[in-house]
Amino acid sequence: MPLFLKERKSLTILIALIFFHFLLISMQVPLGEKASIFEKTVFSVFSPVRHGILSFFRSIGNVWNNYFYLRNVQGQNEQMKEQIFYLQQENNLLRNALQKFRSEREIEENLLEMHESILPSRVIGLDPSNFYKSVIINRGTLDGIKKNMVVLDKNGDLVGRIVDAISLKEARVQMITDNESGISVFAEGNRIRGILVGDGEGQCLMRYVLATTTPEEISEGEDVITSGYDRIYPSGIRVGRIVSITTDTSLHKHIVVIPYFDFRYLDQIAVIMKDPQEFFKD
Amino acid sequence: MRLNDFIRVAIGILISFLFYTIFSRVSPSFLLLFNVFSLVVFYFAVKKGEIFGSCLGTVCGLFQDYFFSGVYGVAGLSKTISGFLAGYLSKKIDVQTPLRNFFFLIILLSFELILWALLFSFIVPESISTGGGLIFFQPVATAVLGTFAHFLLKKFKKDKY
Repeated sequence: MPLFLKERKSLTILIALIFFHFLLISMQVPLGEKASIFEKTVFSVFSPVRHGILSFFRSIGNVWNNYFYLRNVQGQNEQMKEQIFYLQQENNLLRNALQKFRSEREIEENLLEMHESILPSRVIGLDPSNFYKSVIINRGTLDGIKKNMVVLDKNGDLVGRIVDAISLKEARVQMITDNESGISVFAEGNRIRGILVGDGEGQCLMRYVLATTTPEEISEGEDVITSGYDRIYPSGIRVGRIVSITTDTSLHKHIVVIPYFDFRYLDQIAVIMKDPQEFFKD
Repeated sequence: MRLNDFIRVAIGILISFLFYTIFSRVSPSFLLLFNVFSLVVFYFAVKKGEIFGSCLGTVCGLFQDYFFSGVYGVAGLSKTISGFLAGYLSKKIDVQTPLRNFFFLIILLSFELILWALLFSFIVPESISTGGGLIFFQPVATAVLGTFAHFLLKKFKKDKY
């Protein structure tokens, strides 16, 4: 084939491929929270492969943990026994404190209900374009995952919410550090309310706290917890700690909050399997 | 295209898929530093020409978009164009020596990164996470890895025959 014809053929193919990509991109823009059918199909096809690879490497890791670290088990066991002892004491104290307000049966029922509504999950992927935006977990529509379900870390601190169940066994979690996330919160001390948004770099900002608020009303080191006013996150979940409060010329204070959940240990998480609206029935 | 080529391409994609699957879980920063899918595209584009390079760029780009859970087509488009360029330019200049190979990779990887960043910021209304500046080292780090892999492959072939 003459060279100019060959080059023309190459260019035609290149233009066709570019057109294909533009078409593909235009199908997904404007971006919403919901995954497109194309995205769902791709995830459904590749997620079993990804799960397989991760399970394989996890089982190798387990062999390592089970065999080579066996010698540390004795020490760990002793430590955990001690920890359980303290936790039991704490649990009893809290139960007693709760009994002042409710009957024992009611408490048992609530605890059982809470236990049943927790779905342990694993993080199988981060968003490399922005680590602090979203994570993919190994639970999907097959496990009953629904939009806006609350996600906590292993210590019960807030991580985020489900934005979309992408496939049968995968769902995307929007983290509280995402700059598009918004949570109604208050500072624990004097219950000063604000809206917590992510800064996209691992921290959060508590917005709309008036500049006239005094240091006695809100101060550094205070815990930030959910208020429940956004009707997504139930009230009382620990979110983070205030690390800095500054006031400039604007109407509101600039409050930086460090989330309690740790990115480095974001391996196991818990999805609260309750429909968010159920928390706000009353 | 022979069956052997298909198998080679499939192995290349599989290795990259493994790399991305493992590191997206273990240490996502590595994915900002090494663009392994691009190495597969450029390697085969140099060997097989610009048409093959652009088609493989499309496939590998879509795989990369899958891992970045962003917009499908952004990495695809940048890889298609850079795969085409890799195939086209390698016919005009010799890129077989390690030093030439290294600079050739740096230029193409930088071009691809710039194109990807431009497309990404045009389509997605948020700033790109640079991983603390790690992404700026991507062309150099990937080029070092690519040149090393190229050297090993050549040595392996020499030893075989």
